[in-house]
Amino acid sequence: MQGIGWAILTALGALLALAYYAFVVVPARLHRLHCDGLRAFARLIELRSGGRYGRVEPFLEWSKALASRLNLSLRERRQLELAIYLRDIGMVAIPYQTLHKRERLTEAERILLARHAEIGAAIVEQIPGLRQVAPIVRLHHVVYAEQPEAPLSAHLLSALEDCLPLIVAGELETALKTLQQGAGTRYHPLVVQAILSEVRAQGLSGRRDLARSAALWL
Amino acid sequence: MPCLPLCYMPKRRRFWLWSGLLGGAASLLLVVAGVPFVHQHQLGAFVAIVVLATAAELLLVRYPLRPEYPDRGVWLSVSTPVVVATILAYGWQFGVWLDAIVSLVAGLFTMHLKSTRARWVFVNTAQSILSAAAAGLVALLFHSVPTSVLSMQGIGALVAGLAAYMLVNTLLVSITIAIAESARLSWVLGQTLLCIPRDVLLMVPISTLIAVVLAVEGAFGLLGVLVPYLALRQAFVIWAHQQALYHQTIRSLGFLVQRAHPYTGGHLQRVARWARRVAERLGLPPERCELIYEAALLHDLGKTVLDERILNKPTRLTPEEWEQIKKHPQLGAEILSDTPFLSPIAPWIALHHERPDGKGYPFGLQGEQIPLEARLIAVVDAFDAMIGGEAPNQHRLHRRPLSVEEALKELERGAGTQFDPQVVQVFKQIVREWQQQEPLAGK
Repeated sequence: MQGIGWAILTALGALLALAYYAFVVVPARLHRLHCDGLRAFARLIELRSGGRYGRVEPFLEWSKALASRLNLSLRERRQLELAIYLRDIGMVAIPYQTLHKRERLTEAERILLARHAEIGAAIVEQIPGLRQVAPIVRLHHVVYAEQPEAPLSAHLLSALEDCLPLIVAGELETALKTLQQGAGTRYHPLVVQAILSEVRAQGLSGRRDLARSAALWL
Repeated sequence: MPCLPLCYMPKRRRFWLWSGLLGGAASLLLVVAGVPFVHQHQLGAFVAIVVLATAAELLLVRYPLRPEYPDRGVWLSVSTPVVVATILAYGWQFGVWLDAIVSLVAGLFTMHLKSTRARWVFVNTAQSILSAAAAGLVALLFHSVPTSVLSMQGIGALVAGLAAYMLVNTLLVSITIAIAESARLSWVLGQTLLCIPRDVLLMVPISTLIAVVLAVEGAFGLLGVLVPYLALRQAFVIWAHQQALYHQTIRSLGFLVQRAHPYTGGHLQRVARWARRVAERLGLPPERCELIYEAALLHDLGKTVLDERILNKPTRLTPEEWEQIKKHPQLGAEILSDTPFLSPIAPWIALHHERPDGKGYPFGLQGEQIPLEARLIAVVDAFDAMIGGEAPNQHRLHRRPLSVEEALKELERGAGTQFDPQVVQVFKQIVREWQQQEPLAGK
């Protein structure tokens, strides 16, 4: 009877390990594989637009921190990451000359360029494993006052699309002012709050690092 | 009448001959096994096992083998642990009959639900019977069956039985796929044999549990096996999904190229198919042939980055425009370079316009400096472009499409300078075979 007990326990232990592997480890790896595959799409857009669109690194970095501030679930965080890679995929259908135009765009060109979100969503909808990401791609330039019910991930991307280029260019004050002015109208107030908190936290840690390095020199 | 070797027979006749062989051997085995006697107290257990195994057989997972056939591939069944545990608990005859009933019932269900053809149900049932018999035979070598798994010999018999089942089943399924899909047996075996150790390792715990439960608790204990069974199935689903996802990304990238530049669609797929056939004929390993297929499918990816006014220009290109076009191989490689599972094909894409005489672009490499894969794609790409496959609806004014014969002559003329002579030779043979199979080809 003791032998039977051990055999059952061992088999159950092995199956529990298998279940953990199947339900936890493999989905995480699967997500990473998915992201690695989509990196090529983002790179394509970046190259096609001469670096104007399709950049992912600052978006990934900021969205990671902001997703935890906004309490997004693991599923929502993964979808957000996929959407970051795919958000500008519709640019593939925008004429090369419009993407590279140095002068101010005409009204017709602006409308054409704005269609990239819809075109991108239409492309993503055709890839079975990515259909759930299509709404975020479609609404990644959403205006809060027009569609407050849009997914929070889409509101987050919309705010990041406007403020990250400014932050990366070193114009932090302008970025924060834009966000604060647009809170509740252009941008989701929760998202604005999360970004402001994150900037404050990063600023504090930045000062702490400076103090630490100064202490080392002294 | 002289007896033709199997490989020279028409595909349909080959398939029926193989089905007949399988069916005959399986029927003989069932006769030898006889109808196993089921005691009244074992009847409940027997019915429960049949239900569990049939459910397991019905919840199949498809594992795609080729990117261009997402709806085809190997069907993985997780009824095997149940069958092997039954062999150990009740004897090999019991196991053989269980697998026969389960495969047939599940097959008939599948036929009804998923429009599977009757001949596949027949072939699958025969394969299952032969695999179960092999498992029983190997288990007997370790221990007399029926036996308890609660000993080293018992566990050894179970693992050996599972391995034998998987090995025989994989071999038989691979031969069937090779015949039905006209694929090389070595390629199919390369795709399927490597999975056996992993699958056996997965099945050992669940098979042990079923065998123990059958010995201790009888039929009702099998309900407790349901949860671990679902975990096992989930593992299979995720693995299959992972494989499908990889293929899906490749297809989506190809689709994207096609969408941005509609005329390249058919060209890319044709070049990819030809390239894989040449690679197989050159005797390259199966996984390298697959990579060559993917590289050929994506070889013009860099063009999506270029100005479409240059790509679609019907008149002769200016030197500046040519310089732009010449960037596309490197751009394609750059797109893929950050994606780990696609990075091996990036150098082949970057160098697919190099020439053995050093007059190619972007680097002007010579002979063996250019990877074989890039030389191979160059030949196939040039052939399809020459016969007008690259832009069938918008022939450029300065370039008329050539006939197949003219294009082959061009390849021969360029062999050694523009193209790799060995690849040209092999490709020519393949085109000749294609012309024989399809007499209207290229006319």
